[in-house]
Amino acid sequence: MLTDSDRDIFAKMADIIIPAWQRMPSASAVGVHKELLDAVLRARPDLVEGVKSAIEACRGRSPGEGVNDLFRSNRAAFDAFTLAATGAYYMDDTVRKLVGYPGQESPPYDPWETPDYLTDGLLERVTRRGAIYKSTPR
Amino acid sequence: MAGSRAPVKRGEKVDVLIIGAGPSGSVAAKHLATAGLSVVTLEQGNWPDADNFPGRRPEFELVSQKQWHPNPNVRDLPRDYPVETSDSDINPLMFAGVGGSATLYAAHWTPFLPSDFRVRTLDGIADDWPFTYEDLLPCLEEIEHEVGVSGLPGNPAYPPQKAFPTPALPIGKVGRKAAEGLDKLGWHWWPGTNAIPSIPYNGLNACVRRGTCMTGCPEGAKSTTNITYWPHALKAGARLITGARVREIEVDENGLATGAVYFDETGRERRQSASIVIVCANGIGTPRLLLLSKSKRFPDGLANSSGMVGRRLMMHPFSAVAGVFNDPLDGWQGPFGQLIDSFEFYETDEKRGFVRGAKWGAMPGGGPLSATSFVGSRIFEESGSRVEDAWGENLHKMVERRFNHQLVYGIIGEDLPEASNQVVLDPKLTDSDGIPAPKLIYKCSDNSTKMLKFHVDRCLEAVKAAGAIETQVVHQVRDTGWHLLGTTTMGADRSKSVVNEWGQTHDVPNLFVFDGSAFPTSGGVNPTATIMSVSLRQTKHLIKNRRNVEAA
Repeated sequence: MLTDSDRDIFAKMADIIIPAWQRMPSASAVGVHKELLDAVLRARPDLVEGVKSAIEACRGRSPGEGVNDLFRSNRAAFDAFTLAATGAYYMDDTVRKLVGYPGQESPPYDPWETPDYLTDGLLERVTRRGAIYKSTPR
Repeated sequence: MAGSRAPVKRGEKVDVLIIGAGPSGSVAAKHLATAGLSVVTLEQGNWPDADNFPGRRPEFELVSQKQWHPNPNVRDLPRDYPVETSDSDINPLMFAGVGGSATLYAAHWTPFLPSDFRVRTLDGIADDWPFTYEDLLPCLEEIEHEVGVSGLPGNPAYPPQKAFPTPALPIGKVGRKAAEGLDKLGWHWWPGTNAIPSIPYNGLNACVRRGTCMTGCPEGAKSTTNITYWPHALKAGARLITGARVREIEVDENGLATGAVYFDETGRERRQSASIVIVCANGIGTPRLLLLSKSKRFPDGLANSSGMVGRRLMMHPFSAVAGVFNDPLDGWQGPFGQLIDSFEFYETDEKRGFVRGAKWGAMPGGGPLSATSFVGSRIFEESGSRVEDAWGENLHKMVERRFNHQLVYGIIGEDLPEASNQVVLDPKLTDSDGIPAPKLIYKCSDNSTKMLKFHVDRCLEAVKAAGAIETQVVHQVRDTGWHLLGTTTMGADRSKSVVNEWGQTHDVPNLFVFDGSAFPTSGGVNPTATIMSVSLRQTKHLIKNRRNVEAA
């Protein structure tokens, strides 16, 4: 799979597209190049080839130069790399907490509770305007 | 005779063979078996496994862009058949399995309106249906109680009807925000009606608002026929054979259908004989199979003396408008069915420069990756000309601005039938069993383009009235061919249509089409409610008149 060198390159590339910003950590700070990347590639094995191509394209170059060149010359690999990096980043618990995303949760609700739109007049105004459909012509 | 019967044995000739276990085929199987007929259904996919649906897993958003994408060409799974789309403006979306493409639908429950059945009379174009909204209404009401629809009665966009069997789902902050904008403009809106029950119903669990409807519901709360129909059909004695890909419907020397030849999951060729054959393989699979079923007697394909098999393909061109708001909207919460809808501009107004109209459905924005995507497609991505245009600090700024602050209006416009929009057999491409794949030739019409542009402008007014600080528009989204209709059109004139008003083919008296392929027009709404209702209507008629059907 990916070597330590591959992961180091991926981390530096990922920091170009996901740098630290205000309260948000950089991609490498949350370890997008470690277990998170493995989880992404297990979920999306179709990205492996593109991610490897992207890493190879950036090997031995400054990450900024490599990522910019990839963007211009190999969009398929760029897209695979950016999706893998962002997918890993937004799967991280700390990042999710910082952006306010609890994941696809199941918030409780009462199906029998009267909704506010029935008590505050919002829907009544629609009803009062009357039918808007065209009847079947006779 | 009603009730259960002994299960059908493999290979045994049956009263009815149904091809396809999606919404229409499932309705037919349950009701035919319950009426005492022997029924076999061949389904090319398998039973869905709710544990495989990704909604509860952290990688949900990632896999929605590949393995659970609604486009079979993107998924590229062995059970899917490929579709050649290089000559089509829209990609078809579908899923092979028990429950059919509804496995991945959003479960918007929007029956056709009265005018949808009378387009020729009202607008002087296309065709009227052989029956009316009122004719179909009893079947719709029966289906809604089998499906477990949730909704609020009294929608002024529709004539009065029976109440829905389960209460409306919460519209959430996203639905409320959308409704407030429409209210300011004095435009119609109504809490969403969905094939997602809010309380346990007919084998379904209550919706938990996880918001992952379009990658399969891991809660078993989205109404699909593997839950709501097949347990009843099997109990009544119907046999369902999965992994069965049909390559041909065979006919005898009298021109009557005798059954079908199919490949089982091991690739072995098998035959299923039947007195009556019903095709329910969707608006692409159904004409594909009829075109594959050529013989000396039917050299242009089965039931195709009119030349209309495969023609008049309608797929509902679709545009999306996103609005971004200052307020947090809990935009990852479901249902990902429609939170509210609007029919304000559904009916024709000739002053607009086009005929017919569209329905809007307001949906939540989803998780952080969905800040740039919609139903697995990265349609809201802003690539720019430099890396830093969309990445770096700008990625953080974009996610902060949009995630949890976005609502998306989906606009479904009526697609008018045109003979040039069609399904044909591709001369080279095949599925994994070597059966020729379908090819689409489809161009969005000028009427559709004008219609969607008008509706996009009105949608922008609606989200701005609701307080949107940023908007995005994607016009005529390519990956939106969820609704595959019209390719074996229904009518009284056998030179211009494939089936009669009861779904019976004009050319082969014991061959029927009960799916959306038979629709003469497409409406401007999600069609599953009408597909299932029409299938029930045709099934009831077949049960009543089966002794008059000439059988092989």
